[in-house]
Amino acid sequence: MVLKRETSWYKDATIYQVHVRSFSDANGDGIGDFPGLAQKLSYVQALGVNAIWLMPFFPSPLRDDGYDISDYRAVHPSYGTLDDFKRFLSIAHERGIRVIIEMVLNHTSDQHPWFQESRSSQNNPKRDWYVWSDTDSKYRGTRIIFLDTEMSNWAWDPISKSYYWHRFFSHQPDLNYDNPAVREEMWNVMKFWLELGIDGFRLDAVPYLIEREGTSCENLPETHAIIRDLRKRVDEQFPGVMLLAEANQWPADLRPYFGEGDEFHMAFHFPLMPRMFMGLRLEDRKPITEILQQTPQIPGSCQWCLFLRNHDELTLEMVTDVERDYMYDIYARDKGMRLNLGIRRRLAPLLDNDRRRIELMNGMLMSLPGTPILYYGDEIGMGDNIYLGDRNGVRTPMQWSGGWNGGFSTADPESLYSPPILNPVYGYQAVNVSSQERTPHSLLSWMKHIIEVRRSSTVFGSGSIEFLYPANHRILAYVRQFGKETVLVVNNLSSAAQAVELDLRRYKGNILIEMFGRNVFPRIGDAPYLLTMGPYQFFWFRLRRI
Amino acid sequence: MERKLAEETLLTDDCVRQLINVGEVDILIGLPTHNNSRTIQTVIRAIQTGILKCFPRERAAIFNVDGGSQDGTPELVTSSSIDDVWRASKVFALRTLHAISTTYGRAPEPCTALRTILAAADLLQAKTCVVISPDSTAIEPDWVQRLVRPVYDDKFDLVCPIYRRHKFEGALMQNLLYPMTRSIYGSRVREPYASEFALSGRLAADFLANDVWNQEWGKMGIELALTITALAGKYRVCQSYLGIKAQSGRAANDLVAVMRRTAGALFGSLDGNYAFWSGISGSEPVPTLGTQPEALVKLVRVNRKRLREMFATGVAHLEPVLRSIVSPETLTALQRIATLGINEFDYPAEVWSKTVYEFAAAYHKSVINRDHIIQALVPLYRGRSLTFVLENRDDSGEKVEKREESLCGEFERLKPYLLGIWPDRK
Repeated sequence: MVLKRETSWYKDATIYQVHVRSFSDANGDGIGDFPGLAQKLSYVQALGVNAIWLMPFFPSPLRDDGYDISDYRAVHPSYGTLDDFKRFLSIAHERGIRVIIEMVLNHTSDQHPWFQESRSSQNNPKRDWYVWSDTDSKYRGTRIIFLDTEMSNWAWDPISKSYYWHRFFSHQPDLNYDNPAVREEMWNVMKFWLELGIDGFRLDAVPYLIEREGTSCENLPETHAIIRDLRKRVDEQFPGVMLLAEANQWPADLRPYFGEGDEFHMAFHFPLMPRMFMGLRLEDRKPITEILQQTPQIPGSCQWCLFLRNHDELTLEMVTDVERDYMYDIYARDKGMRLNLGIRRRLAPLLDNDRRRIELMNGMLMSLPGTPILYYGDEIGMGDNIYLGDRNGVRTPMQWSGGWNGGFSTADPESLYSPPILNPVYGYQAVNVSSQERTPHSLLSWMKHIIEVRRSSTVFGSGSIEFLYPANHRILAYVRQFGKETVLVVNNLSSAAQAVELDLRRYKGNILIEMFGRNVFPRIGDAPYLLTMGPYQFFWFRLRRI
Repeated sequence: MERKLAEETLLTDDCVRQLINVGEVDILIGLPTHNNSRTIQTVIRAIQTGILKCFPRERAAIFNVDGGSQDGTPELVTSSSIDDVWRASKVFALRTLHAISTTYGRAPEPCTALRTILAAADLLQAKTCVVISPDSTAIEPDWVQRLVRPVYDDKFDLVCPIYRRHKFEGALMQNLLYPMTRSIYGSRVREPYASEFALSGRLAADFLANDVWNQEWGKMGIELALTITALAGKYRVCQSYLGIKAQSGRAANDLVAVMRRTAGALFGSLDGNYAFWSGISGSEPVPTLGTQPEALVKLVRVNRKRLREMFATGVAHLEPVLRSIVSPETLTALQRIATLGINEFDYPAEVWSKTVYEFAAAYHKSVINRDHIIQALVPLYRGRSLTFVLENRDDSGEKVEKREESLCGEFERLKPYLLGIWPDRK
């Protein structure tokens, strides 16, 4: 199957985020690989998603789980070869699954040959490929992102006897985007993968490309100019390819990354995610409606990317101090669950393995404006292991079955890249794909159903949103509209049953058809529309005038 | 309780609809109002700030029960909700803070107002219910914490306030309500009849189910009835220092009406609680939280001559009535005091205590119409007020307090006298 070069496919997509290393090991060495991933694409297809986002799979010393790249044009030997990648890509496309890969523009590994050359002497031609300084006092207004590990954004290099700039770990020196040669080379890297046929890039850490004295060194106009240039080249040479921004910023600061539709196609809505968790525990829609009210309009061709959990910690950078304290107290009482300014836990444990809450959160993820991203394993309710360092606790092997290593690998358990989850609640014997595929009411079956229902309407990907504000603040209700289609979404954030009256007079005469069971609800009249909702229940109603 | 609520329909359908939207709460702040548009927003702002500052995570709601305002008070309340569209520059709200309103009649009725608040608290399963007067213009955000914390954190059932007042303010409290409540019920609650207080969900539910709402004394002074019910029911009672008790200037000037609500209610409470209070001697201090503030220093004008005249005239004109209420010894003493000039005027603590007790016993026996008994007490109270002013005119707060303590001691000492004249003593 050849995927059509539709230019806005991402708007109606459902994306599945996968780490090659964690998904399936075909060669039995304890580490997931591309052949293993390719074998499991039938599962991904059956899940109903139509795009897959791969975390970095490039050669790397793996000191930051692959975000420290040492060769941009190859595949890490643990994950296979470039040919393995090509085969995987081909199978994915045959199954109607687009492939988005990671591209770390901002920095490389300190093991990258470019950096090795750059540090080797002050006169090396690649000296200017990184940001060097004789002092560590420049750009003082710049915040440190990894507060738990880094004291400064500058690191001393004993070889070249000067400081280099790094916004993340000190082993990840920032590239110097003021240098045209760097910009050109990074475009060549992107072109390399585009020519292989990939469908999109998730561009990592984009706000930090350029540094300027007296600024925060984030979101600078020069950074936007670089992105516009990349976008122009992509559109001209590879139409239909999507660029997704990773920029953990407030919505108003993110808005410029869409430009006039000439920068990114999509960007993560970081501040919404913690507020969904907050709204759920507060049993109050206010945090959610408030942040979405503050979210600016974006060009019609652009889209927000929504997620509940991903490979990183549940970031709490984009919340107030009061909100952060609340989130820590509610979701991460154990200090071991905290990392940097966030919470390193998976979806199911965050929600106390409460099926109703997991469903509600996924229901909101799938119905709020944006393209949803599912993190591998969350569709079966996988757990985490907070005793593993950094964010490795949420990157454990995919649990395929109750057998050897959870069906992830035939290797000895000791040789796995990470111990699988073994506890009686979340361990692979209790939580796995195989058993859930056999159960029509399993979380996996339910996830397939909701993805299918979402795909049955373009309103979720492309429609407008209008919030209803029923007096009952535990109810989050909104109307999605696209073309002639209107969908009413009603979510009960409360752990108790709720009654709610909705003002639907402007839709008078319509009947409601519940989209999951296709049952008909009473026609809308002049009176407030009364719904009674069970704990954490949600409804998606298609409005029809019959 | 649910059956009872349904039967009595304390809450209108519209009110229930609003309460459904509020849902279960941790803190319910009740605001009984009647034409308070001048002050209500100040009070609500302080309450909201107090909640957001000290209880940002708790589920809270402001519940206004209005006695038929004509000045838009309920609308001012409901427009102050902190919801999806709320914007404030300095204060951050984690969650929705509803401000809802219901009207129970066309005139203020404190009893109905409190009952409605407690019914809502019960329905919403509030852990803490606070009542704040819409007249308290000197309210500070901290009041919310001072009232709520003892219930929320320390598991007290009733929190009574202690205000910062001028030494001549609250004379009725200092000369009658406090000393008598203390000696009768054995607990040193300084403000047994308060317009601000907090109670636990447990006490709120129990009090709501109490029969006091249907009794005359309960209807007269429901706030006092609450304190007495808590004391008699062995609930955990404490006091919390608030701040200046300033009112909007609408405080009632009709002393007879005030006396009915206070002394009338207190006397009335003795009827049904005899078994409890007759066994108490002396008094125990009540846990008091916070720091005692200095008394206010300000110029308070008291028309001493007029007080003396009203006392003397009352004693003379009401002699036949007084004869049926007080003992001959007390009447003689009163008549003697009435002859004293302004400079030597003195209505001693002992005579005053006996007077009050004899009035209480007469009230119990209904020797004449109970309302007439209360009215007859008014001129005598004016005489005692004059003594209070004269005694404390040049003294500091500490000395005033000592004198007050001495009056309380007198009430306690003479309690056997009350028991002696009480007809139910057998």
